[in-house]
Amino acid sequence: MAAIETHGLTKRFGDVVAVDDLDLTISEGEIFGFLGPNGAGKSTTINMLLDFIRPTEGSAQVFGIDAQRDPERIRERIGVLPEGYGFDDYLTGREYLEWTIESRDADDDPDEILDMVGIIDDADRKAAGYSKGMQQRLAFGMALVDDPDLLILDEPSTGLDPNGIQQMRSVVRDRADDGTTVFFSSHILSEVEAVCDRVGVMNEGRLTALDTIEGLRENAGGRGTITLECATPPAVDGVGDLDGVAEASVEGARLTAQCTDPAAKVDVVRHVDGQAEIVDILAENTSLEELFNQYTGGGRDGAGETPDESSAPEKASEEASA
Amino acid sequence: MSAVSVFRKDFRGARRSRMLWAAAVVLGLIAALLAYVAGDSGGTSAETVVSLFRVLTLIMSILLPVVALVASYLAIAGERESGGIKFLLSMPTTRRDVFLGKLASRLGIVAAGVCFMYVAAVSVALTRHGAFPAAVVFGTLLVTSVYGATFVSVAVSMSAAAASKSRAIAGAFASYFALVILYVFPVVQIPAMVRWLHTTILGADPNPDLYNAVQYTSPYLAYRKAVNLVFPAEQRQTVFYSSLPEEFDPETMSANAQLPVYLQDEFSLVVLAFWLVVPLLAGFWLFQRSDLE
Repeated sequence: MAAIETHGLTKRFGDVVAVDDLDLTISEGEIFGFLGPNGAGKSTTINMLLDFIRPTEGSAQVFGIDAQRDPERIRERIGVLPEGYGFDDYLTGREYLEWTIESRDADDDPDEILDMVGIIDDADRKAAGYSKGMQQRLAFGMALVDDPDLLILDEPSTGLDPNGIQQMRSVVRDRADDGTTVFFSSHILSEVEAVCDRVGVMNEGRLTALDTIEGLRENAGGRGTITLECATPPAVDGVGDLDGVAEASVEGARLTAQCTDPAAKVDVVRHVDGQAEIVDILAENTSLEELFNQYTGGGRDGAGETPDESSAPEKASEEASA
Repeated sequence: MSAVSVFRKDFRGARRSRMLWAAAVVLGLIAALLAYVAGDSGGTSAETVVSLFRVLTLIMSILLPVVALVASYLAIAGERESGGIKFLLSMPTTRRDVFLGKLASRLGIVAAGVCFMYVAAVSVALTRHGAFPAAVVFGTLLVTSVYGATFVSVAVSMSAAAASKSRAIAGAFASYFALVILYVFPVVQIPAMVRWLHTTILGADPNPDLYNAVQYTSPYLAYRKAVNLVFPAEQRQTVFYSSLPEEFDPETMSANAQLPVYLQDEFSLVVLAFWLVVPLLAGFWLFQRSDLE
């Protein structure tokens, strides 16, 4: 059975489409990264899984239970680190955690969890007075209570220092090793790459890619760039016709070629070497940032996945996630 | 079970709120002061204490709605705006649990405030006048608590329907105005407005029963008439003079019996029940359907 399954999930706010016809299936035991720029519809999707907001069309199921029909049964099995939460009661960090444990009828030791997320020393202060990072740690701790079958983490690294991110990552991996399914959203690619089995990329309410990180690299065209610094201006003739080279250009004494096939770089060097003296060679693989751009904002001209090209949707989806 | 958990968390937080304690102390002081200055009216000490509670209910008719609205208007809207509701709904909880838990907690807070006030009034009255008219004390306590509950019901319901704090504040103000203020001050009164609408705009003959009936829809008037049910005859107040027959003689007749059924004191229970239940149904209905962002 799938941990999460959505069919044609759509949410419109007025005439703004925040999530557009989303079909997504996440298997049990998977660590799934939900990626996209701010306002892409990630939180809206998560909020529909949690029944915080109601879909306009389509359905969302968690462990085969309809999210709108029986949210209580879903909530029994999941741990949530929501987006836009707030600690506004006159309760300490420990009391919040104790309340969570009590509400879930769990038998966790609050101190153990407080220690795990690194706020044991501040446990007896009011949670409302915590810094953003400490609140994030507490909220993460609350999500871990009762060892849920599915962890839904919305932008979990927000406000955390690198140490905190590292800590959270290792807890997430430990839980996943024990069979917990993890679904988390992020706008930071490196974070997703470090932990996820599979990645879904959202942009402007649509799922523009769904694959492993390696798969994304390949499908994105895997464009590598090679730059040759020459003693004299080289001729560009013929370079662009080589197999695996998408385009080539010369600027002064510098030749730049975009390669769709990594092996083509060697051919470029061989080709140019016969005509001009090469002083320096620079090669770059597709960086994560480029990859990200390609699937989201930056990919608008190439990917063809985003038919509406006005800037309106961007503004719209920002509103939607507000 | 989870409504209980929502209730506990809310009540625990409220117990630590300094503002609520301050409000309770102010209420207690008002009651104690009132009990202290009451007296020397010439009657027996029991009569003095009964008339003290008569005055207390008059003050409560205006003040308690403020207390109940202030104590409840942020119950759910505050959690929605701050995001606390996301934690509540991440537990094995339904929106119904949140609604009921919050309602129960705020009802408890307001009831505790009223009891606090009564303890202050009763203890000062006992030490100073040495009388404890149990029927009047417990009767008005019950009616007053129900009156407070109607405003908790209104405020929690609007809080559930409002997406933000500012809307909840506006709603609390509007309901105090529409349910209390418009029935208190003679210049801007609902009956005067209805009368004007009825006679000037529609050109009909004046019908006092109609204006009084419209007026009677307010929990404020319902409370003032409901307390008549627990006071002895000489302490009852006559509210709808204009609906009394011309041959009415206050010495020999009971004012209440002369009124049409829908203007009698007993009918106030129907009005209070309406304000207790209907806002809750509407608020819950809207809360169930809303998007919590």
